[in-house]
Amino acid sequence: MLASVTKPVHNEQLVFKGLKQGLTLFVPENDCFAHWLEVLDCQLDQAKGFFQGGAILVELGERQLTPGELAGLKRVLAKYRIRVEGFNPVLRKKNNPRTEKRPPASSGVLLVKGTVRNGQRLENEGDIVVKGDVNPGSEIVATGDIIVLGALRGIAHAGAGGNVKAEIIAFTLAPVQLRIAHLISRAPEGREEWQGPEIAYIKGEKIVVERL
Amino acid sequence: MAGRVIVVTSGKGGVGKTTTVANIGTGLALRQKKVAMIDADIGLRNLDVVMGLENRIIYDLVDVAEKTCRSVHKALIKDKRLSNLCLLPAAQTRNKDAISPEQMVTIIDELKEEFDYVLVDCPAGIERGFENAVAAATEAIVVTTPEVSAVRDADRIIGLLQDREIYEPVLVLNRLRPDMVRRGDMMDVDDINDILAIKLLGIVPDDEEIIISTNKGEPAVLNSQSKAGEAFRNIVRRLEGEEVPFLPVNGEPGLFGRFLKLLNGK
Repeated sequence: MLASVTKPVHNEQLVFKGLKQGLTLFVPENDCFAHWLEVLDCQLDQAKGFFQGGAILVELGERQLTPGELAGLKRVLAKYRIRVEGFNPVLRKKNNPRTEKRPPASSGVLLVKGTVRNGQRLENEGDIVVKGDVNPGSEIVATGDIIVLGALRGIAHAGAGGNVKAEIIAFTLAPVQLRIAHLISRAPEGREEWQGPEIAYIKGEKIVVERL
Repeated sequence: MAGRVIVVTSGKGGVGKTTTVANIGTGLALRQKKVAMIDADIGLRNLDVVMGLENRIIYDLVDVAEKTCRSVHKALIKDKRLSNLCLLPAAQTRNKDAISPEQMVTIIDELKEEFDYVLVDCPAGIERGFENAVAAATEAIVVTTPEVSAVRDADRIIGLLQDREIYEPVLVLNRLRPDMVRRGDMMDVDDINDILAIKLLGIVPDDEEIIISTNKGEPAVLNSQSKAGEAFRNIVRRLEGEEVPFLPVNGEPGLFGRFLKLLNGK
């Protein structure tokens, strides 16, 4: 646990480290995620009580999680009453020079691959990018932007917490509801599903959708 | 080698889970596989009725879990047609909490040593009954009908299965009506695949024969005239790793279908 962190993610072991943004768990990029979940469970079990009730950040480096793996991570942490406050604080600093224009967020982009299914919920303090479809009945909540490389058919809430500059982009934008900051909109009845990328953002006091 | 443990589930009720289990189980047994079917729908058991074995039940799943009967074999009911097909019935006077996922794992671990296939008939819903049914499964068949509500629930179930490390469930699309699809009044295979995006194991056409066979307690796979029966026979072959082309579902009978019609004089 004392290893110094020069790269965003240590390659051999799980590391907890205090960053400016908060206590951060570094998950190595190699090996399967399930393996690291077991290790995490084990380590937290040994350090019983130490982290209890706290909130942490999780640094995944280049790793992309599936919605199922994400649920697994939350389940393990919930066992020790730990909450995930956000993802990828290190990567954010490197890749996101626009930070100063936005309200401060504690973390960066959460990359998810695979279909987000009915009943699943993704949250992140920062942006969320989904490589796959977002199905009806699912919810995606980000304090930053939401980008779906697939069809968005569920509920998406970008700029949660009040960022009116947040945007929602999808290859096929056919959501049950769109929410940006404090505004909510739904697609007009009988709107033909446009097959092509679209972007939703706030213009005036309304959410507008435009073809990209 | 241990057998395959497959849970048949759907989320929504009434889409044909029990019928699917009965037909796949019987179909596999027809191919000389040793098959055990477990009815996990405690309190609302049906599989015994569909198989026509209701009057032979002495012990049930809860008796096995609570060790009221000496071994799981005591509770297994042999099918009246096929000797290599067995049913472990659910208890009818209890509820889902009468058994725990750990107990299910213990029971199924014992069965899979002996059988080639253990099929678990999952109850509707995502609560305890679902947890019990998927606890020991390593594969899953998701059943849906071409209705928006059933597809939504199937999507939810696929997500839950993936949380439980069953990453590649396969889909049975039940009760498809080719005439309605042709008129554009029913979701077709592509619409459903758009949402669910999992491998298709089979398409079962809507067939009156199924209702008749369910009431008689004789699975449709045993009936060579039944269209649904043929679909289930294909599903069984695909489950065993064969490449079988899908029956035409666009309403136009294929060459083989026309040939059959001629033969049947219809």
